[in-house]
Amino acid sequence: MKDGALQRTLLTLAGAVVAVLLAFVVSSAAIIVAGADPGTALLAMFDFGATDIAVSSSIALILNRAVPLFIAGLAVAIGFRMNLFNIGVEGQYRVAALTAAFVGGQLALPAPVHLTVIIVVAMVAGGLYALIPALLKVYRGVNEVISTIMLNFIALSMAAYLVRGPLSGPRDEGQLTTSTTPLPESAQLPNANFLFDLFGMPAPRGAGLWGFIIVAVVVGVVIWALLSFTRFGFELKASGLNATAALASGVNPKTMVISAMVLSGAIAGLISMPEILGRSFAYGTGFTPGLGFLGIAVALLGRNQPVGIALAALLFGFLDRASAPLQFADIPPSVVTIIQGSIVLMVVIANEVTRRIALRWEERRAAARLAVPVKTGATA
Amino acid sequence: MSTSSDPPPAAPPAVELEGITKRFPGVVANHDIRLTVEPGTVHAIVGENGAGKSTLMKILYGMQKPDEGEIRVNGEQVVLANPADAIKRGIGMVHQHFMLADNFTVLENIVLGAEPTRAGRLDTASARTRIRDLGDSHGLRVDPDRLVENLGVGDRQRVEILKVLYRGARVLILDEPTAVLVPQEVEELFANLRELTAQGFTVIFISHKLDEVLGIADAITVIRRGTTVARVLPAEVTARQLAELMVGSELPTPETRESTVTDRVVLDVREASVLGETGRPVLREVSFPVHAGEVVGIAGVEGNGQSELISAIMGLARLSGGQVVFEETDITGWSTRQRRQAGIGYIPEDRHREGLLLESSIWENRVLGHQGVPPARKGIWVNRKAARKDTARIVREYDVRTPSIDTLALALSGGNQQKLIVGREMSGTPKFLIAAHPTRGVDVGAQAAIWDHLRGARTAGLAVLLISADLDELIGLSDTLYVIYRGRFVARLDPSQVTPEQLGGYMTGAITEDVS
Ligand SMILES: Nc1ncnc2c1ncn2[C@@H]1O[C@H](COP(=O)(O)OP(=O)(O)OP(=O)(O)O)[C@@H](O)[C@H]1O
Ligand SMILES: [Mg+2]
Repeated sequence: MKDGALQRTLLTLAGAVVAVLLAFVVSSAAIIVAGADPGTALLAMFDFGATDIAVSSSIALILNRAVPLFIAGLAVAIGFRMNLFNIGVEGQYRVAALTAAFVGGQLALPAPVHLTVIIVVAMVAGGLYALIPALLKVYRGVNEVISTIMLNFIALSMAAYLVRGPLSGPRDEGQLTTSTTPLPESAQLPNANFLFDLFGMPAPRGAGLWGFIIVAVVVGVVIWALLSFTRFGFELKASGLNATAALASGVNPKTMVISAMVLSGAIAGLISMPEILGRSFAYGTGFTPGLGFLGIAVALLGRNQPVGIALAALLFGFLDRASAPLQFADIPPSVVTIIQGSIVLMVVIANEVTRRIALRWEERRAAARLAVPVKTGATA
Repeated sequence: MSTSSDPPPAAPPAVELEGITKRFPGVVANHDIRLTVEPGTVHAIVGENGAGKSTLMKILYGMQKPDEGEIRVNGEQVVLANPADAIKRGIGMVHQHFMLADNFTVLENIVLGAEPTRAGRLDTASARTRIRDLGDSHGLRVDPDRLVENLGVGDRQRVEILKVLYRGARVLILDEPTAVLVPQEVEELFANLRELTAQGFTVIFISHKLDEVLGIADAITVIRRGTTVARVLPAEVTARQLAELMVGSELPTPETRESTVTDRVVLDVREASVLGETGRPVLREVSFPVHAGEVVGIAGVEGNGQSELISAIMGLARLSGGQVVFEETDITGWSTRQRRQAGIGYIPEDRHREGLLLESSIWENRVLGHQGVPPARKGIWVNRKAARKDTARIVREYDVRTPSIDTLALALSGGNQQKLIVGREMSGTPKFLIAAHPTRGVDVGAQAAIWDHLRGARTAGLAVLLISADLDELIGLSDTLYVIYRGRFVARLDPSQVTPEQLGGYMTGAITEDVS
């Protein structure tokens, strides 16, 4: 049984690798059509720079992109576990980002308290915004896909309006973007460049590796434990697999919808934290968009498992970083988007193929066993 | 094509299977199976739970590919890659677990996947005439425009059969069609089947109820542990001999029983009423106590309020009036979780709908419904180690045939799934148990074992509410017996005095009497 499990894991990994390779093949076709050379493109993607510092900076860039995607993937996966499609992660993280940045900018507190307050406010704001579709579903039967999409529009427009008007902070002469009042020193998370030291690498340039990566890892572990080992995780899974059986087992579907949605929203609230606490120190018109939607792809790619989501987020981070070097190599950076799309598609296909292969393996093992014990059973 | 009009000696078998072998992860479901079914007959297949009956039938219906072996239909060798192939060859199947869409009408269910179209639109008119014609010529009358969710099991069964006939099947496979039927409905079904064979249809029939098998079958094939061990004629064997062929050993004899009823009331249902979807009462002022050490049986044709009564006790349906009192506490307002944690066990009537997570492992299914109490729970955590250990115990004590406790529930045969659920609900010494069709789909040996477990727990003080379509089970296990008819208790009977025939009379409303 144990070696069977190992084989299955290896097979899953092999499947993922093949899927990524196939995606590159598909993308190569796209690159050729775009009139460039796939080989050059590949080299450009893996070219992290000539100096050690450049390499460190590239890695920091990848990680800084991967961390919010990882959190977004987690947020989406919590809902997916019980067949709840929280398409509203996008809106939830915007609302949370604006609220947390605004509140954080108004306060003057000692650093640890200040940071904690901002993080908690972000989670509460995201959670509360997700509570709306949850209540609509539980008490009015409104499909969460529709309500969260609508709420995304509201959140995006509302945030855009508020940050230009009522909640905007002081603006310098001639500055085109607006944002909330910048966070004071006490709310700025120190960077995590010491991680590079550990590996004997120089610190990256600029803002470096955002410190929130540490929090993200902790959140990942907590969510993993929550989903895999707790009663809540079990009931979430049961509700997703068989809602009537869950009901008969004493799982209250209303409570489950509300708690899964609010938890998903609260995690979504954290998506903006790495950037706000690590670089921008405010929520402004130039804030990174689209992380919530990408989170859906990341969760899908990672099969709703925290470890898988982490790997998927890293892959997406890697591809996103590649768009700048691609441009230098005269290759349209939209190639990266094509690669991302094809990877998701290929992985979905690979999942199904590996599942079938695993089944056939097990059947063959059973056949091997037939020679001895089962046959005696048949004639007993 | 068809050779059914040839003179009898020349007619090839309707179905011939030879050397069929099928392996699943960790099990060999079928091994060198041989089966010959003559046209125009009812051919029964019997065997223990997990013997491989359903698998064999799925192979014949093209749902599963055999690893080895040959299939011949009307003497012609065929390869059945999918059900569409089988249907083309005139083979149709009604599954062990119903596969109808609840919120569709009878007509929609029947034509689903074989929709007649006229100018690209669903031609309901011609479908309706066809269904009426089929129904009339085979005595299978169901209103095509009713919603399936409003049908009783007997009618659902007829819809399943019509669905198969509608596709032009000449060979019908029925996997445990009688498991959910009360005797009167079984009689009706058998009349239908006899009519079908008289018209040249061939029926392959799986059942664990050996008396029924002997009553309807023209020939019987016995499968034991995946392989065919005997082919017998009903005139040559008794039910007992048949059972011994199946298990390869002797049958246990039913125990004599002595009352263990105490005077401590565990569950008291007081004038409970439940409203149906349309707002009409489906359960009307039902009152009864269940004492520690007592089995209270409820007899009734399905759809007379049993499901609503169970739901009300489990907290799955709201009472429109009355109370449920458990150990002297009014639990009417309690959630299902509170009730379960207080010590109420529940063997649901439909194991796939309410009892299992099919895509989860067996040990996770052990946790289901018991995630709030030890051994499955440890604080906020699911206690994996303890849950796995207890699952191993259930597998052992209830003889659940499975390669391991990590096997997915969907890989278990129907009867083994049932044994797992019974074992789960009996664990952790519940105080009160709702047992809805506790032996549905299990073989005679396992049935006796489950009865023993229930009797043992009763002696230890368990209070049981037993709902069953099997009248022998009801009479044999119950200390007190009520008959439910149109949402009311219409009779209270002494199980040691009543015969199955009398009970049948009360259930259909033929005999009436007020509850004392
Ligand atoms: N999809 C599957 N995957 C793996 N194993 C399976 C699968 N389906 C059936 N099996 C196994 O094959 C064996 C035969 O199962 P099958 O369902 O044919 O039994 P059965 O004779 O119909 O029993 P029952 O009377 O309980 O319905 C069992 O051991 C079962 O666990
Ligand atoms: Mg079966």
